[in-house]
Amino acid sequence: MTPTNPAAPTATGAAAPAVLRVRGVTKSFGGAAALKGVDLDLFPGEVHALMGMNGAGKSTLVQVLAGVHQADGGTVEVDGRPQSALSVRKARRLGISFVPQRRELAMGLTVAENVLLGDLPTRGRTVRWKAVRAEAAAALAGLGIDIAVDRTAGTLTVAEQTMVEVAREVRRGGRVLILDEPTACLSAKDAHRIRALVRRLRDEGVAIVYISHYIDEVMAVADRVTVLRDGTLVRSAPAAEMDAAALVRSMVGRDVVSTRPGRPAPKDESGLTIRGLTHGRAVQDFTVQVRKGEIVAVLGPAGDAQSRLFDLLSGRRRPDAGEVHVDGRRVPLGRVRASLAGGLRCVTGDRRALGLVAGLSLDENLMMASDRFARRRLHRRGELARRAAPLRDDYGVVALTGNPPVGSLSGGNQQKVLLGKWLETDPVVCFLEDPTNGVDVAAMADIHTLVDDLASRGVAVLLASSSAEEVMRLADRVVVVSAGRTVAEHDIDAITRDELVATALGGQPQ
Amino acid sequence: MSLKTSAAPDTAAGAGPAKPSGPTSRTPLHLPHGGLILVLVLVAVFTAVQADSFTTSQNLLNVLRQISVNAVIAAGLTLLMTAGGMDFSMGSNAAVTLSVAAQLLHSGWSTPAVVVVSLALATAIGLVNGLVVTFTRVAPFVATLASAMLLDGVALLVLDGMSVTIGDKMTGLGNDKLAGVPYLTLVAVLVLALTGVTMRFTTFGRDAFAMGGNEHVARLSGINVSGRKLALYALAGALAGLAGLMLLSRLGAAAPNTAGLMTQLTAVAAVVIGGTSLAGDHGSIVGTALGVVLLGVVANALNLLQVDSNYQFVVTGGVLLVAAIINEFQRKSTPGGH
Repeated sequence: MTPTNPAAPTATGAAAPAVLRVRGVTKSFGGAAALKGVDLDLFPGEVHALMGMNGAGKSTLVQVLAGVHQADGGTVEVDGRPQSALSVRKARRLGISFVPQRRELAMGLTVAENVLLGDLPTRGRTVRWKAVRAEAAAALAGLGIDIAVDRTAGTLTVAEQTMVEVAREVRRGGRVLILDEPTACLSAKDAHRIRALVRRLRDEGVAIVYISHYIDEVMAVADRVTVLRDGTLVRSAPAAEMDAAALVRSMVGRDVVSTRPGRPAPKDESGLTIRGLTHGRAVQDFTVQVRKGEIVAVLGPAGDAQSRLFDLLSGRRRPDAGEVHVDGRRVPLGRVRASLAGGLRCVTGDRRALGLVAGLSLDENLMMASDRFARRRLHRRGELARRAAPLRDDYGVVALTGNPPVGSLSGGNQQKVLLGKWLETDPVVCFLEDPTNGVDVAAMADIHTLVDDLASRGVAVLLASSSAEEVMRLADRVVVVSAGRTVAEHDIDAITRDELVATALGGQPQ
Repeated sequence: MSLKTSAAPDTAAGAGPAKPSGPTSRTPLHLPHGGLILVLVLVAVFTAVQADSFTTSQNLLNVLRQISVNAVIAAGLTLLMTAGGMDFSMGSNAAVTLSVAAQLLHSGWSTPAVVVVSLALATAIGLVNGLVVTFTRVAPFVATLASAMLLDGVALLVLDGMSVTIGDKMTGLGNDKLAGVPYLTLVAVLVLALTGVTMRFTTFGRDAFAMGGNEHVARLSGINVSGRKLALYALAGALAGLAGLMLLSRLGAAAPNTAGLMTQLTAVAAVVIGGTSLAGDHGSIVGTALGVVLLGVVANALNLLQVDSNYQFVVTGGVLLVAAIINEFQRKSTPGGH
């Protein structure tokens, strides 16, 4: 591929050399290949959008560029010089800055301190606070950002936090700016402000890598688009040569990892009814009905809405409004034990923080919930292993040694332990949050089978997912959410995968 | 239904009963508590060679009596720390219990009544700690440090600056032996054993591990986390009270500044030396027992070798630091450890 760049509207001219050149980069995590030989050219004064479904390798690629992960193979050149073993510090010194999806500001410090973090102007060893404020204000004003520098970072909106982070990176001399889903979970107005900032930086000659799930947004802001799928580059072309339909096709067109089996038709009785569930901006007026034996998917970009639904349904947080009925009985929200007693079983998408106790053994994690439901008082390892063995079998959990700490298992095995822990506790309703998050293809197929079996047992399943693939594979109906609101609801037979992706990624409401 | 994963390792795939991990290790550092046992043996052998009196039964019985009180406190603390909690006030709780018990005995109460009242008082103190820690968001470290200072003061107030003797009441517990073993040591061993059994073989104990490992997961799994915390702090209080009574029976009198925060810090040191993590999730009663013995033997050795008593703290601090570093290295080399 010869790097010509007709679309770069740059002051330095179309012939400017690539500031960043990536050739054949590979990276795998524990046997699962995340990147399989990806090429990428980045020119100054260009917005380069990176698109792809979940797990396509976008995040891995930018993390390699930012020095978070080291590539297994391939080369990364900066200004024509090959760079081996990029570390975060080295990447930063070369002018590559990365604004991750989760904002990384020191929330207790002021905006000014955050902008100048690590580079506070000092006299001797004391901080010159006047200069801090002045320099920070100048840095923000230079980018047309209107935020008072004395505010505490914790009081900023997400959009403002993004801008402060961008200002910090630009001030550090970032020539390559990587933005990972900067507009996820933002309102249309805030997203517009971020995009204006991105355009302004481009015009000043910064090379920008822009990851987004929203096709409309990419078409509006990007000069060039690269689409990844399953760790390989599918297409890289100027945005002007792409249209939305072609983009969707190149993103989605992968082999289906498992096929949809025939499941018994859902029963008529309602398993789960949610009415008007509202919590902050993440979940707004969410209403859904799931019959027993039915799988209803909630599709949306990964992030706030799904994990907030987990918090609300599991009882970790109390909603501002709304009610939940399980099997016709109202379940009081806001108490974990009430949710469990009502027959609600919530499987988190965040295994590490909310799913498993990493230091405890596989068997103990597997039986943690059911032993507590059974009110067992004694704990014997041999007997525990005997009870856990059939579960390990059913859920396909495989361990090298007998009963290792669950934290030492692979992601797929951990996920199966998590599912086994909850699905064997006589659920009436299951809420599954991204059940195939971070697992390899084989484990994914296993987990899909497990979810099928669960629905066949007559359990009402609400599946939060960010993958249209998975929704098409599993769900009977799908509810599409965006920025906390329901934007569409379809029977799965009445929609094609491409249509579904287009609805989910087509744009933000309003 | 049976699932097959292609990525599955092919050896001994999940079959067979759970094997205890790491029984085939070679170096002592890879045995559980290997490093600790090694240090203990070295200290004991060195002292035995240097001072003939170390191995006399009189001296060994003395060491056992001295560490028994510490062992009871450390046992309760191990369980609590495994659950991610902390109680700095157990030694001070013991001081209050011992002062109150001494005053009551002195004023003529019967021994059984005093035992019941002081244990109830100690449990109540522990429960108050638990209530503060569970229902306010004050960190256990801060809350119990505050109550430790407070209780130290209360103990002084109860004694009113005087030493209170209890005559020959309770001397049986403090000085008699059964089959050559002091009663105090028997009580301590019993408490350690019961704590060990609780931690390993009861759901209550496993709940502690789960809470220490990840409190959110524990709560989501249906564990009554608040109730468990209250129970654990109350239990720590009860054991502190027991330790106070044991100390009183050994000394035969309550003097100002008996027990208190310094006693507590020695117990914390023993627990940490034994490999229990301050952050919860890791805990071993065997380690705690070894830690208590090590600190007792070191203190005894310094005594016998006629080292200036001011060096005792220096040495104890050094032992604690070295043990903590070794524990951290061992944890890093275990798979699945943090």
